[in-house]
Amino acid sequence: MKKLLITIFILSCTAFNLLSQAKKPTIMVVPSDLWCNTNGYMMEFDNQGTRVKLPDYKRAMQESADLMVVISKINELMTQRGFPLKNLESSLKTLEIEAAESAMTSSRSGSELSESPVDKLKNIARADIWIQMTWTINNMGPRKSVTFVLQGLDAYTDKQVAGASGTGNQLIGAELPIMLETAVLSHLDNFNAQLQQHFEDMFENGREITLRIRKWDSFDGDLMSEYAGEELGFHIENWISENTVQGRFSTADASENRMIFEQVRIPLYDANNRAVDARTWLRGLQRYLKDRFMIDSRITMRGLGQATLTVGEK
Amino acid sequence: MRKFLQSTGAVIFLLLLFSLTASELSGQSRKKKENTDIWKYEIEGVQTGVQGTYLIKVWSYSPNANLAIEQAKKNAVHGIIFRGFAGTGRVPGQRALATNPNLEEEKHDFFRLFFAEGGKYLKFVSLTNDGAVAAEDRLRVGKEYKIGVIMSVNVDALRKDLEEAGIIKSLGRGF
Repeated sequence: MKKLLITIFILSCTAFNLLSQAKKPTIMVVPSDLWCNTNGYMMEFDNQGTRVKLPDYKRAMQESADLMVVISKINELMTQRGFPLKNLESSLKTLEIEAAESAMTSSRSGSELSESPVDKLKNIARADIWIQMTWTINNMGPRKSVTFVLQGLDAYTDKQVAGASGTGNQLIGAELPIMLETAVLSHLDNFNAQLQQHFEDMFENGREITLRIRKWDSFDGDLMSEYAGEELGFHIENWISENTVQGRFSTADASENRMIFEQVRIPLYDANNRAVDARTWLRGLQRYLKDRFMIDSRITMRGLGQATLTVGEK
Repeated sequence: MRKFLQSTGAVIFLLLLFSLTASELSGQSRKKKENTDIWKYEIEGVQTGVQGTYLIKVWSYSPNANLAIEQAKKNAVHGIIFRGFAGTGRVPGQRALATNPNLEEEKHDFFRLFFAEGGKYLKFVSLTNDGAVAAEDRLRVGKEYKIGVIMSVNVDALRKDLEEAGIIKSLGRGF
């Protein structure tokens, strides 16, 4: 009996530990737009009369051996630190394979897979934190040095959560890949120290997300319509205030049609100790609106830290 | 009688010699401890080391030049854990491994053993150039010597060891 109780205790402790792991952000290293532009890895297209330039990651990965060296070195060092990164090249390949498979997949009855224009738009390489890197080669006569910049950017808040930069020693006759490797070795520990501070802040003050509230055209009312003696927008704001860590959020924009909340600090776990992200947290607001005011709504999400609630219908 | 006096004299001489050596050794050990307890040293980056290591110059202070060289190893590891070091010229500085400024006091028992004479810290540090000190790195400051020794600290192994001992947090902890 005693053994059984001990076993149950150990199993419940293990289960508790498994559940209490926060959702891990994915990180991916990409070359910056500046680097892509400087080295000719951009693609241009016509967006309703406006020429738009976008970085061509696929071509950069296929043609630049130096880029490969840097990404591979950063990935290697991050894996050593117990935080393996998503690889850009593999992500791009996976997207291509998925697209090809989706195009060819059909049911026995001949039905194709459902895909909305939004789904198509979202078929891009994704990460919660982007490590954007840039390097430039400085020439001083026969001497060369490398200026290296690493920026860790939160994909949802657009904040730089970590960074490291500097110019290495001037060398004569040194090979560029070796100079780049040295630059990565010189700066990555400082970068990781800041990244760790960001994670520690997250564990202490909650995950920072961006939240948008919108309304369907078909909705009979708007965010300024009164419900139970108060505007719907204020009801939403009150719910957010009560459900954020220490009531932390800021209302960036509010009109009858949309509201934008930034720096919203959501808890990492719910009442059942399950890990929470922006979407699961927003389900609480969706239920609140349905139960209290009989308002249907739809949640759309982007990664761990951005979600939109569109009120009026599903 | 003379034989007896001779043998007694020899014994007394040996005892005196032994006690002098012992007191000298204990004095050195006390000085080492005193120098270590106040952690009087400075660190500067020398070059980006090979992967997983920092190449640093540690300036240690001591009335005894040899003692300063010996203490430099301990100071190097202490500096990497608690202080970090500023960059010099084009060599970037590095932050301390410990993000909590009170860590040393909070984990006093762990670090007392870690930095004991012959302690675990020795695993993570090695002298470069066999510990030879350049003439310009041997300075006399008042009654003390200020000795600069270049060292290589295996920071990857040190970090891993401290993470496994639960002293510092790993990057992916909590996820």
